[in-house]
Amino acid sequence: MMQKLNDIPDKNPFKVPDNYFEEVNRKIISATSGFDKEVKVVSTSGRLRTYFLIAASVTGFILISYTAIKLFTTDKISPQVSEVQYNLNPDSYLNDIDVSSLEEKASSIVFSEERPEVSNKDIIEYLLLENIELNDIYEKL
Amino acid sequence: MKLDNIRSDDNISELLKEDLNKGFRLLVEKYSSKLYWHIRRLVIIHEDADDALQNTFMNAWRSIDNFRSDSSLYTWLYSIATNEALTLINKRKRNAAVSINDLESYFANSQEGSTWFDGDEAQMKLQNAILKLPEKQRIVFNLKYYDEMTYEEMSKVLKTSEGALKASYHYAVKKIEKTIIKD
Repeated sequence: MMQKLNDIPDKNPFKVPDNYFEEVNRKIISATSGFDKEVKVVSTSGRLRTYFLIAASVTGFILISYTAIKLFTTDKISPQVSEVQYNLNPDSYLNDIDVSSLEEKASSIVFSEERPEVSNKDIIEYLLLENIELNDIYEKL
Repeated sequence: MKLDNIRSDDNISELLKEDLNKGFRLLVEKYSSKLYWHIRRLVIIHEDADDALQNTFMNAWRSIDNFRSDSSLYTWLYSIATNEALTLINKRKRNAAVSINDLESYFANSQEGSTWFDGDEAQMKLQNAILKLPEKQRIVFNLKYYDEMTYEEMSKVLKTSEGALKASYHYAVKKIEKTIIKD
């Protein structure tokens, strides 16, 4: 009886039509090779001017936002920001999650004896890979 | 093998700067097969994998200027391909009629049947067990089991820590073996 993954012979069970890869390569190359990408040459002074404009825009936006927030918010609406800083990749699966609050609570998670040695952050990321709902994580904590 | 890949990717990376079309052609020839099988194992249907593969390279072509030479072409392409496969799977989920949860049911109800599947009973059980994993865990399992990707490389592809990936693969294997024994 098959018990382990290694018992299954290493074979690719999927097939493709004959000459598929030659044809798809040709399609992809012909779809891209006809279009020469424009190489934009930007002079140093032009580039610097662009950077200054971007910096000025960002600074202006920050000042306006800060002023607006100060004018229109009251003392009751002052969220406490966690001091824990995370550098999350912009494409990370964790971007929609308040990782810092989850980490604080995750320290009490009990796993089986087979639990590999991983950090709390790793545990949370693993749970998310298992598609476990956030509410379920909170319930178990 | 890994060292050869790195040297060869370095050469392609340099060539992309000198002659974009020639460099991109080499990239396609080198990676189309690998990326196709990675996508195919996730989406199952050949036509869907074909679409996703072509979209992968078109996206790569469009964003080749943003590719940083200090990162790896290999993980960059796999990242794009994985996103294409996930997009397709999510799109399919919205249409419950074409959702694939079990290969035998899918083959029984589809026009193509099992034309593009050549596995025996053991392979069918394995593929069904893999299909039962949450989709992100399926990706982790496939990248480790079939592509033999290192956790370091996988971490760059999936933007997730190595620790979480190791745990995910560990439990994926347990789940698959449990499913196979039960069946």
